[in-house]
Amino acid sequence: MKKFAAGFFAGAMVLVIGTFGYLRLGLLDVRSDAPLPDMMARLLYAGIHASVRRTAPKAQNPLPRTDETLIAGGKLYLNNCVGCHGEPGKPPSDFGATFYPPAPQFPREGTKYSEAEVFWIAKHGIRRTGMGAQGPYYSDLQLWSLATFVGRLPNLPPNVLEGIQQHPAK
Amino acid sequence: MKKFVLGFIVAILILLIGCLAYFALGFSHTRADTKPSALEISILQSAVRASVRRAAASVPNSLPANDDDLVAGGKLYVAGCQGCHGDLGGPYHEDRDLFPPTPQLPHVGTQYAEPELYWIVKHGIRMTGMSAYGPFYSEKQLWSLAAFLRRINNLPPGMLEKIRPKKTG
Repeated sequence: MKKFAAGFFAGAMVLVIGTFGYLRLGLLDVRSDAPLPDMMARLLYAGIHASVRRTAPKAQNPLPRTDETLIAGGKLYLNNCVGCHGEPGKPPSDFGATFYPPAPQFPREGTKYSEAEVFWIAKHGIRRTGMGAQGPYYSDLQLWSLATFVGRLPNLPPNVLEGIQQHPAK
Repeated sequence: MKKFVLGFIVAILILLIGCLAYFALGFSHTRADTKPSALEISILQSAVRASVRRAAASVPNSLPANDDDLVAGGKLYVAGCQGCHGDLGGPYHEDRDLFPPTPQLPHVGTQYAEPELYWIVKHGIRMTGMSAYGPFYSEKQLWSLAAFLRRINNLPPGMLEKIRPKKTG
């Protein structure tokens, strides 16, 4: 038993010291312009999804599910999110692809997050990614309209898409 | 000896599985609108620093930049970087939305050398808001930006005015 404990202790030390040594020696690759390995991507996205599901309150969207809500959210999206997340009806964002992990392209991929979760992410951001918290800049209602809109991508009603593009907000 | 080896393996398995479970079950924190702890900052910063130093060691040293290069780099900064890294000549604003927070370069400057700055702008820093700009800038632009960044909190007199001509009227 004593030997087992000594081995256990040694194993733990080797792992911890090894990790710190690896970091300290600069062996961790930090460049963003390298492909994210599939295995890493799966772990990363699963971890973020699980954390958001655990943290985001199960809030009810206070806005009516109307075209007006979608158009209001769509205008916010067009003004502030397309740079990284891509514009509906356009090719994916080159800029979003230069982040590590890359910015998801909602107009093509949609999202597996619920509206309440999208609201929470937009408000608080996702750490260790390029997703900044938008809470300091937008009201909750604005963020809810944005969440409603993102939740409907990539299947927008045609009149909503027109409504957004006809009156681009300044 | 057998028991020692067994203990060794069990410890490593428990730590690895524990880490994976911690993330997979959603116990890690995701929100970006908080501050990283001082310990986390120091561990990660030194890891990034060591990695960049290693990676940029093979980058050839740039030719010394003249004032025109600095002005060109400064204009690139104003157009492409200051949205996150802080307004040139503006007051200090704490970064409230990205985690880890973006260094406010006009105020804190940088400890990186020019070839390292060139490398960072070109390739980005993963798992931060710093994306790779290699696809968007020429080599010359990257080098002028690096030369400017190196001196950003210690610019030669008159340089700021050349980069951002004062609006008249």
